[in-house]
Amino acid sequence: MSFFGPALVLLTIFLFLPMILTLIFSFTDYFALNPDLTHFTGLGNYISIFKDEMFLKAFINTVKFVIIIVPLQGGGALALALLINRVTYCKKYFKVAFFVPVVMSLAVVSTLWMQIYSPEGILNTLLGKVGIAPQPFIHGANQALPAIAIMSSWQGMGYQMIIFLGGLQAINPGLYEAAEMDHASAWKKFKDITLPELKPLCVFVFITITIGAFKMIVQPMVMTGGGPSHSTYTLVYDIYETGTVNWEIGLASTMAIVFIAFVVVLTVVQTILTRDKEDKEEKNDTYKKAKAH
Amino acid sequence: MKKSVLLAAALSAAALVGGCSEKEVEPGSIAGFDEGETYIEMWVYTIEDTPEGEACKESVEKFNEAFNGKYFANVEFIPRNDNGGGYSDKINASVMSGDLPDVITVDGPNISAYAANGIIQPLAELTDEEKGAYLESIIDQGTIDGKLYALGAMESSVGLYYNKDILAEAGIEVPDADHPWTWTEFTQILEKLKPVMEAKNGYPIDMTFPVGETSIYLYAPFIWANGGDLVSPDGLTADGYFNSEQNVKTMEYFKMLADKGYMSRTPIEQLFESGRAAFKIDGAWEVNTIYESYPDIHLGVAPYVVGDNWNGEKYAPSGSWAYAATTNTKHLEASTELVKWISGTDSSMLLFEKYKSLPSTYEAYERIKEFSEDENYRALYVQLRDYGHPRPKTPVYPQVSTVFQQTLEDVALSGMDAREELDKSVERINAKLSRYNRNNE
Repeated sequence: MSFFGPALVLLTIFLFLPMILTLIFSFTDYFALNPDLTHFTGLGNYISIFKDEMFLKAFINTVKFVIIIVPLQGGGALALALLINRVTYCKKYFKVAFFVPVVMSLAVVSTLWMQIYSPEGILNTLLGKVGIAPQPFIHGANQALPAIAIMSSWQGMGYQMIIFLGGLQAINPGLYEAAEMDHASAWKKFKDITLPELKPLCVFVFITITIGAFKMIVQPMVMTGGGPSHSTYTLVYDIYETGTVNWEIGLASTMAIVFIAFVVVLTVVQTILTRDKEDKEEKNDTYKKAKAH
Repeated sequence: MKKSVLLAAALSAAALVGGCSEKEVEPGSIAGFDEGETYIEMWVYTIEDTPEGEACKESVEKFNEAFNGKYFANVEFIPRNDNGGGYSDKINASVMSGDLPDVITVDGPNISAYAANGIIQPLAELTDEEKGAYLESIIDQGTIDGKLYALGAMESSVGLYYNKDILAEAGIEVPDADHPWTWTEFTQILEKLKPVMEAKNGYPIDMTFPVGETSIYLYAPFIWANGGDLVSPDGLTADGYFNSEQNVKTMEYFKMLADKGYMSRTPIEQLFESGRAAFKIDGAWEVNTIYESYPDIHLGVAPYVVGDNWNGEKYAPSGSWAYAATTNTKHLEASTELVKWISGTDSSMLLFEKYKSLPSTYEAYERIKEFSEDENYRALYVQLRDYGHPRPKTPVYPQVSTVFQQTLEDVALSGMDAREELDKSVERINAKLSRYNRNNE
């Protein structure tokens, strides 16, 4: 008990208590500038946020962002890991090079990419060289969210790459040797050995990317302010605006609770779905083995 | 009363955690604070070792010298970030814990909200002479329901800057402050400049609708100069004001500027500074930027453009941070003295010297030679003095500001219907206002 006492005290003060307070505030109209006038409003906040056009818009934007970034970042990380696993020279250099963006602050990365995406920036200049008209990128309502997603996946990819790399190196080389004896193609080896072996890691990677993507706020805050036309306004951004800028702590707490609930449900669903498949495959495998014997 | 029990529990838990006990400052514990002096604590939003922070510190030191034996002011620097966090988070937390100091800095448009929620109180009575020293825009910004709550140490304004060489080349004459271009005239000028600027790979005017406070600061004057407004005079409704006929026209004017290609739809950096735009709309700091970094540009300041039916009403951008006494202070007289000092001529001049922010008193403008010798600074001053209009006074100002920028962007750049967007905006503003209207019942 005394062993984790200090940790428990700190966690209580900085994590559990704020969480409980958020839950309590979510049922009130707590207003930062005038806490004395706080009333209990029951489920009033919960009903009103689901009628709030901005909240729903922010919700849809966030989901869109997750849908774009999960395959992009996960797939990209896997591709990078496979490439680095193959090269025999300067391995360390490549690892570090692709990992550097992860270490950089998101605000710094966002500012850098604002230059890259700027109307007369590097990317538009390059596009111009191959005869493509300048694109608005973060200044266009249709392109802003995908542009931010591409930047974010570039920034975050290195972390998952390292995880995949560890996974790849842990695969028993004997498996590949056996496959080579059977003259399996590279694709077959990837599909039947690499992917199944990496499966537990994939689950972890997809869940962490999903949760991280749901929490997205820094990029639009720095790059677009949620615009153009709210196309990059995300859930956490809405919570921040409501609580800090408009002082409506009660409403912001409600949004935070709904947000947490949604992420938890999604994670559980994701875990169950992926676990089910694994179990089935395991059963299949044992079935096959039994048959072979 | 169950709610208050629960809330009290929550608050006391928070207080316990924060460990905030009212700390009494003893004479002698701070250098310069002597026995018999009234202690006043002031919070400002700046960073200590910036030109702005240094000016503030110096002014407070001078205050302590001048009132030695009577008052002692101590200033605490609580930096804010661009989104208004940091400093305002600290204010919000202190409102809850009751730890506010005697004097705080408040951004002009937040004065309404702070006053409506009992965070700041009216200053002790100022004589007419004292009041008369300040620009009208400073007094106007600080006055809510006829009571003066806050005084600013600096003003701010926005200029319609022009490139003298380009306008001379196109043969365009610039009017004086009392005869600004009307929209129709300005459109004709832009049309005339369009081929000239296209030849330079530029646009007639360098303007954008950035997210944040800038957009309402720069473009609400177009609303006022066209006989419109953003909220009702009491600040408690937006219906019939934000979505008025005039405002529909104003929004459509912005849309026309973008549609006709007078402005770029996407922000291009240094468009004006590199000589690729004839006009630029930006804050007063632009004058200093051009002088210091772009000496090749021959800068002029034209009066802000007005609606076709403008009749001399106030409409020009104005307003900046101000100082106010909190409801927590037990020393209103002393706090008022400090507010007067820190917003007065000397402090104001010091700020201009270090930070180039526009001063708050007539005397300061007369004593600083730039405002009589430099035509551009002079033009900004005259515009502010004669036509300065405060930002809308409403307790839900942050919402008005956000919604204004979004409507502007949606209508002007994304081509959405002006009337529909303005109506939607009214709903969003009034939803936030329901708190104040309910309390009034």
